[in-house]
Amino acid sequence: MSYTVTQIAETDHRGQAAVDALLVQEGIKRDAHLDYTCGVYDDDYELCATGSCFANTLRCMAVSHEHQGEGLMNLVVSHLSEVQVERGNTHLFLYTKTSSAKFFSDLGFYEIARVPDKLVFMENRRTGFSDYLRALRRSDTPRERTAAVVMNANPFTLGHRYLLEQAALRADAVHVFVLSENFGPIPAADRKRLVEKGTEGMDGLILHDSGPYIISQATFPGYFLKDSDDVSTVHARLDLTVFARIAEAMGIGMRFVGEEPFSHVTGLYNQVMLEELPRQGIGCSVIPRRSVDGQPISASLVRQAVHDGQIEQIRNWVPESTWAYLTGPEGAKAVAAIRRADQVIHH
Amino acid sequence: MIIGKSAMAGTLESSDAQVTVEPSENGLELEISSSVMNQYGRQIRATVMQTLERLDVQSGKVTVVDKGALDCTLKARVECAVYRSNDIKDALPWGGAIV
Repeated sequence: MSYTVTQIAETDHRGQAAVDALLVQEGIKRDAHLDYTCGVYDDDYELCATGSCFANTLRCMAVSHEHQGEGLMNLVVSHLSEVQVERGNTHLFLYTKTSSAKFFSDLGFYEIARVPDKLVFMENRRTGFSDYLRALRRSDTPRERTAAVVMNANPFTLGHRYLLEQAALRADAVHVFVLSENFGPIPAADRKRLVEKGTEGMDGLILHDSGPYIISQATFPGYFLKDSDDVSTVHARLDLTVFARIAEAMGIGMRFVGEEPFSHVTGLYNQVMLEELPRQGIGCSVIPRRSVDGQPISASLVRQAVHDGQIEQIRNWVPESTWAYLTGPEGAKAVAAIRRADQVIHH
Repeated sequence: MIIGKSAMAGTLESSDAQVTVEPSENGLELEISSSVMNQYGRQIRATVMQTLERLDVQSGKVTVVDKGALDCTLKARVECAVYRSNDIKDALPWGGAIV
């Protein structure tokens, strides 16, 4: 028997239906967001195995049980790796059922973290995660006085600043992880710079890039594109399990988070966080949002105002540096992108 | 030769090896995982290092996922990955070095 590996286009309804059937048969849930799908066909053009990509992750991989033990997953992963290298991604991530993790460890993937009985999160670098941990700047503060805040800061508002001030009141060092994923209209580098500028003069803050291990396309895809609540909950647990390992390595004893009345997915994430982190021995405090004239500040509202061309509205919601960015030449491209976007409110 | 950009050669099928090369500034970093690591790990490392030396590659991150490839296969995969990382597509100097 010879096998052929080929791409299955999104518009290939017959092929996609076969992929759906195979995934159902092997008990794997299809991800809502895939940007490349391939199939392995036998001589009779029956689909025997499939696998997909999204950004720098491999997903929805399955081999029909009639063909297990023939090394078809190797074909799938070889093919998908090539696709990823063409895209410029060499550092790859995947999640898989706990029962299948051993197959992927034979294909050069290493476990980062797992949610027991649900899924295992893996990467194709043996020292990927440990290198990341080693590179993070530490603080010489006792664990119970060391805090972390994770923010997208899209863009940095006085609400973010208030959250950091509140955290700084209760801790000697606050590690601020700014999301590194380049997803929205404002580039990650600009978001980070605005956090830097907007927190000038504050003591005890240490800024980090969140990298691929905190709320990234790999750990928590539902943050960027809408997923079902069940899926997002499992991914949130995974993301927080990885965070707990980062916290352990860096001696972080608590995480501060802004109350989330607006975004559904962030609210869900916070809810999972309140359960998961205390279980891992990390304190978790929700800080009520800062309001201006009775209106809680939110980056979503800032983007909405920019989108609607009512930039004057945000004057009291953002620090001088963010204002200067959004009204000056530096942020002109980002502003144009926000104005063009159909949807600027976080789901 | 330098590693110009990330490139890959080979597959994860039995008797093959998947070799990925990436630019790096910290000299040569070699990471090997193999289904026959205990028996042939040293041999695999030596073959890969010799091939890189012959190509005069002095720095780069090289990842080998070996599925029991013979030395000749391993050599060919390493060469191919390095050539691809330099966009060399014609007159491939197999087994030699490019000066």
